[in-house]
Amino acid sequence: MLVERYQRRVVGVALAVVHNQDDAIELAQETFVRAYENLSKFESRSSFSTWLYRIAANLAIDFWRREGRHVVLHGEDAENEISKLPTATGDSFKEVSRSELSARLKQALEELTPEHRAVILLREVEGMSYDEISEVLQCPRGTVMSRLHYARTHLRTILKDVAGS
Amino acid sequence: MAECAEISMMLGAFEDSELEPNEMQEVAYHLARCDSCTGVLADYSTLGRDLRSITAEPSLAGFSSAVIARVDRLPMPIFTRIARALRRQLDSVGAGLAWGSAAVAMAVVTIILMTPYAEKFANHSAPPTLLAKAEPNSPSDATTSEPTMADNDSHADISRLESENRSVAVWSEPRRDTTVIWLPDQP
Repeated sequence: MLVERYQRRVVGVALAVVHNQDDAIELAQETFVRAYENLSKFESRSSFSTWLYRIAANLAIDFWRREGRHVVLHGEDAENEISKLPTATGDSFKEVSRSELSARLKQALEELTPEHRAVILLREVEGMSYDEISEVLQCPRGTVMSRLHYARTHLRTILKDVAGS
Repeated sequence: MAECAEISMMLGAFEDSELEPNEMQEVAYHLARCDSCTGVLADYSTLGRDLRSITAEPSLAGFSSAVIARVDRLPMPIFTRIARALRRQLDSVGAGLAWGSAAVAMAVVTIILMTPYAEKFANHSAPPTLLAKAEPNSPSDATTSEPTMADNDSHADISRLESENRSVAVWSEPRRDTTVIWLPDQP
């Protein structure tokens, strides 16, 4: 069945944005309902799965903004944040204890904007290519690359702080 | 190193193998000489593993049934309702046609299979006197040649010819208690 085939990844996309399992499952169910309602609008320009993930991502981002849980940086604002980050240096955070690191990493993910969190989780957890992420989040490939760079540098900086403290 | 800032922008994409081949080559060349960028790359790799490990797989038990229940609760537009009702009717008519066709096919097969037995049964209950027409080569053959009908009928037991007239063959079938009169074609 169509739902069973895509449910895991649709939940994954929603989870990447909202970072809360209950909300993600609720949004994923809403995604399938919306897809059912708008099936006639589906054009074969992209694959069905990409169309489905895009609905999930849009719903999740809208949900996040509506809930007002976070100050969201958009477009240039977010990209400008990259320049404020310290340049990556070679000090590794390998020595930080795993549990401490995991806890801090979850917190650091919460601090990211949904757009940045979505990009890094879609890449690292869902294993999507840059082109897929670009289609799902409806942004240019270059934006995917810069958001990923920002998210990685940001997370690494936070984790390095944990390691240093 | 001067180019580290430029290379660091590409390290993530290098880790993801999403750079153009010439850029991959450029980053690989830099990494071979730069411990700092190699450390950053290792951190990105570790970061990816950590992100995967902290992301718990949500339980999806009952997910699809919940979706179906939500879809079922959707208000249906009037045209959709009509279309569905029509489709349901067509489906039942189609099923009726299918059953009807199957019944007709069964009946035809039964008739084909039963016909020989039915003929046999009809022969058993045939009237005691048969009048048949044959085409003997000449009127004189009528008495000398054996009647064709008798050849075809295994029950015929022709005992004797009873007619003196050469244009008419008459014989009895004692077993059936039947008299057969054989007439040539009339001019």
